[in-house]
Amino acid sequence: MLTLRRLALCAAGLAATSLVAWTEPAAAQRVIRVGQADTLTGQNLPELIAMANTEKRLGVKFNVMALKSDDVVFQAVINNEIDIGIGDAYKGIDTLKAPVRHFFLLRRVAYFPVVNSEFYKTWKDLNGADMAVHARGSATEAMALQMEKANGIKFGQISFVPGSEVRIIAMRRGTMKATLLDLPNTRKLTAEDPKKFIVLPVETQSASDEIFYATTKFIGENKELVQTLSEELLKSLRAVNADPKAPARLRTELGLLKDLPKPLADDITPYFEMAVPGGLFPTDGGGAAAAKADFDFLIAAGRFKGQNSDYKVEDFWDLAPLNAALAKVGKN
Amino acid sequence: MTEIDPSPRTGAAAVLEVADVPTAPAVAAGEAAGGGLLDRSWPWQLASFVLVLGAWEIAGRWPVSLAFPPFSQVMTAMAEMVAAGDFVRAYAVTLPPLVVGVGIVGVLGVVLGIAMGLSRGFEWIGLPLMVVLQTAPIAAIIPLLTYFYGVSATSKIASVILLSAPIVVLNSYRGIRNTNASLLDMCRSFLGTRLQQVTKIMLPHASGMIFAGLRLGISAGFIGVVLAELLISPTGIGDLISYNRSIARYDKMFAAILSILALATVTLSLLQRLENRLFRPDHAVS
Repeated sequence: MLTLRRLALCAAGLAATSLVAWTEPAAAQRVIRVGQADTLTGQNLPELIAMANTEKRLGVKFNVMALKSDDVVFQAVINNEIDIGIGDAYKGIDTLKAPVRHFFLLRRVAYFPVVNSEFYKTWKDLNGADMAVHARGSATEAMALQMEKANGIKFGQISFVPGSEVRIIAMRRGTMKATLLDLPNTRKLTAEDPKKFIVLPVETQSASDEIFYATTKFIGENKELVQTLSEELLKSLRAVNADPKAPARLRTELGLLKDLPKPLADDITPYFEMAVPGGLFPTDGGGAAAAKADFDFLIAAGRFKGQNSDYKVEDFWDLAPLNAALAKVGKN
Repeated sequence: MTEIDPSPRTGAAAVLEVADVPTAPAVAAGEAAGGGLLDRSWPWQLASFVLVLGAWEIAGRWPVSLAFPPFSQVMTAMAEMVAAGDFVRAYAVTLPPLVVGVGIVGVLGVVLGIAMGLSRGFEWIGLPLMVVLQTAPIAAIIPLLTYFYGVSATSKIASVILLSAPIVVLNSYRGIRNTNASLLDMCRSFLGTRLQQVTKIMLPHASGMIFAGLRLGISAGFIGVVLAELLISPTGIGDLISYNRSIARYDKMFAAILSILALATVTLSLLQRLENRLFRPDHAVS
């Protein structure tokens, strides 16, 4: 009888120990949910490298989810379905007064005016011609409006066709003769037929394309995490700017995007070799200067009304984590 | 040749159709009864609307989410959009491809469905295709239309056809195939020709199902045109939805969605009444 009781106690103890051992790692490793539009590719390596390094430093786990579009990411952030969004939340903050703030600029906009050279060769040729952009009120529409001003022309009609990958199909078919494309699709199309498809000269673009943002509550409750992530993002982007081959190398070292197909993996370094000279990756995390440039861009796009001075940086950005990160990592 | 009165009903009821044709007073009584039913049901119908919209208002004011405005705010936004002419401009773009697509399906789809019902050859060719189209995840296929038709209105028309054609074709086909065998036997026993079988038995018999197919096809057409405008090129009502979502004007986004729901509901209700009047007089409501 005594032996049976001992046996039962031992079994209970063993079960309890196993249960604790089984649950402990899961409880210890906190998961941070990150949302961004589009699927993850080699182009996302700068932020993935930063997240991997933050994971090592803080013992957290980043779970990056690809959602359909920027506005779905924003909705997920305000509904607390994800913790950190990548994209931009300017219009959501402005319209809904949503308690959301940006905290780190990851990437600047990079769209290029690609035309069919059989019809157009210069900006002047595009006077009265149709221009296809992503969507009404999008960054590409704002760029088209800026280009009209900068080149003293007026497009015949600005039509809306979402997705660079859709617009290059129309360019190939000849149903579209002038459009704005993102960097990978610009490369793809001009490489296919360099004589037929040409890129018109464009000034350096300073507006933001992808910014890290979160609710004020999340930033307030996770100061260390947001600052550490900002530090690692600064380091990662500076490494990429110093050596465009770094993302491909660090991918292997850190074991990131293991399932990336070979053609896409081969495309990583050529992409960064083109993106880095184009000034896509800021080394200062954006901050007040980026916010001001974005206000100008949004006003030009018709998304913001009034003047730049009508908008306050602190209503859209929380600069504290970035300033702390810059103080620690250095201002470059 | 003896006149054979086509019956809109099937099965055993159809056999009794000569004696069962409702007389004018009977129809009137039926309509009155139907009207009475409607009269009795309207408070419940109203209550269901009040319940849903009331729950929406409460959920919006709670708020469930910043992206979920209360119903009253959506109605205010709708009034603003109506005053600004947003809906007129949007529907001027959305409705033409819908009408053209439904028109094409209304003619060619019905003809194909009837041909499939009458001919084994057409059935073998058409039926598998239509069944596949009916079960296919069309939303995944619609973006691929740009490969063939670019980003023009043709893609929207193709989208409407893809969604509505299977319903219209299969309903027409089944309408012909489900013709009461007894009626066909009777036609044959009166030495009716094949043409007379088709024109005097099969088509009148199938007309109710064909019309029901057309009504459901229009419903699918609404889905097709909005999907095309959301997935291919944001124009018309799809633009109102996607643009207002992208600038976080969720009240206007819901107003645009409500407008297309209301338009589709009104259109389909009117068609249902027409269908009842033409093919199911016992269900007609004045």
